[in-house]
Amino acid sequence: MGGYGDVQLLNDDGSRLDGRKLDEIRPVTIEAGILPAAEGSAMVTHGLNVAVAAVYGPMEAHPRKIQRQDRAVIDVRYNMAPFSTSDRIRPGFNRRSREISKVTAEALESVVLVERYPRSKIRVEIEILAAEAGTRCVGITAASVALADAGIPMRDMIVGVASGKIEDTVVLDLDKAEDNYGQADLPVGILPNTGEIAFLQMDGDLSLEEYNLAMEYNFKAAKEIHEIMVDALRRRYDGGEA
Amino acid sequence: MVELVPTLLRQELARLAEDDARLDGRGRWEGREFTLETNCLYNAEGSAKVVMGGTVVYAGVKFELRTPWPDRPTQGSLMCGAELRPVAGRKYEPGPPSPQSIELGRVVDRGIRESGCIDMESLCIVPGEKVWGVMIDIHVLSDRGNIFDACGLAAIAALRTAIVPAERFDVGDDHKLQIKGTPIMASFTRVGGRFVLDASEQEELGGDERIHITLGDEGHLHSLQKGLRGVFTPAEFAEIFEVAQTRCVELRKIVAKEEEN
Repeated sequence: MGGYGDVQLLNDDGSRLDGRKLDEIRPVTIEAGILPAAEGSAMVTHGLNVAVAAVYGPMEAHPRKIQRQDRAVIDVRYNMAPFSTSDRIRPGFNRRSREISKVTAEALESVVLVERYPRSKIRVEIEILAAEAGTRCVGITAASVALADAGIPMRDMIVGVASGKIEDTVVLDLDKAEDNYGQADLPVGILPNTGEIAFLQMDGDLSLEEYNLAMEYNFKAAKEIHEIMVDALRRRYDGGEA
Repeated sequence: MVELVPTLLRQELARLAEDDARLDGRGRWEGREFTLETNCLYNAEGSAKVVMGGTVVYAGVKFELRTPWPDRPTQGSLMCGAELRPVAGRKYEPGPPSPQSIELGRVVDRGIRESGCIDMESLCIVPGEKVWGVMIDIHVLSDRGNIFDACGLAAIAALRTAIVPAERFDVGDDHKLQIKGTPIMASFTRVGGRFVLDASEQEELGGDERIHITLGDEGHLHSLQKGLRGVFTPAEFAEIFEVAQTRCVELRKIVAKEEEN
């Protein structure tokens, strides 16, 4: 959240630079089952973000020490492709991707019926091919659709979405400039059917009122994105009729 | 230990080969259906997606400013790397780059570099001080066989649409990367005792050695690689080389057509 005040992020009439309303998400498209090698997969484009998720398993958990006697573990790898950002990223894990992988795995373990697969592992691979702010949320959305595509039983899917604050105004779904020069970012993973939250991070500066408004926006967006997720799965399995 | 499935698969492939047939009904020199899409990723200065049968590959081009090598003060540099991450299939595991991914990246790299399609001098900004480094990263998302051809095609298609981001680095105006020629790779795998073009995952699993041939616009060889266990005769090479020539001309036309759009 650097550089607040240096860059104008709202037009004089209060609208956002890209013309969106304060509570409007960027365009989202989702396609399920795009990777033939995987048991389940999905591609999500969200604004200019492109995320792909692949699911393998349930399979034997290796190494043995990660095995749980009573449930499956979910092994998530969130990775940004070298060409996904403005400056090339050196291939390989870094602290950021490790942290995102960890909390994403824990979020997914809260919705997948992991008790059904003791001692096994479900691999979830999230690859960010193009990044334009909000990639962890797009990755969670893609992972949820890929898990559903793989036929893994879940209580609900998780919708990844973020709100934030720019120029002292709460807005939904920060784009790149808003993320770079804004004052706060609140990415969450929402279970749209139960209204619960499985993923939560935040950085910046928010009052309680601002937090509540940001969360309200997030729940509204989760509903919209959830419809697109369900539609993608219907197109794959029902031949198109929603 | 004898691996049971590949043994049965090998028997089946050998039986099919007697009738010159393939598991998926293709002819011996027939490639799978494929699609090529370029400029499909924001942030990459050039990008391409190739779907070849069930194989899915992306390539992205990035540029950086660097100091030239002391012995080549007026030349830029090229680097091409491939990543076989766990996303690509059940058999891929996390960890440092595997020998397979290094071979893949280097074979694609040689084909492009040795064809001379990039004039390294054109990447010079200030001799001895500042040149462009061109980096092609190939990302395999789904391996259902013959990732080499898919990667080679994605890499050259991404390069051919790349824009040098000079404005962002404050060294002039953005411009198209100067590139002459379209080196194309054709790969053959020995399946059931004889070579076939564009092997599927099953054919690779039950097959033997593979040969990769990269040809330039004039039909000249720019990179060769034999991989995996097995031997071949000069006569066999002569046969697949002829097929490679036709295949490369076909794929080159498709790259050119995609560029026009």
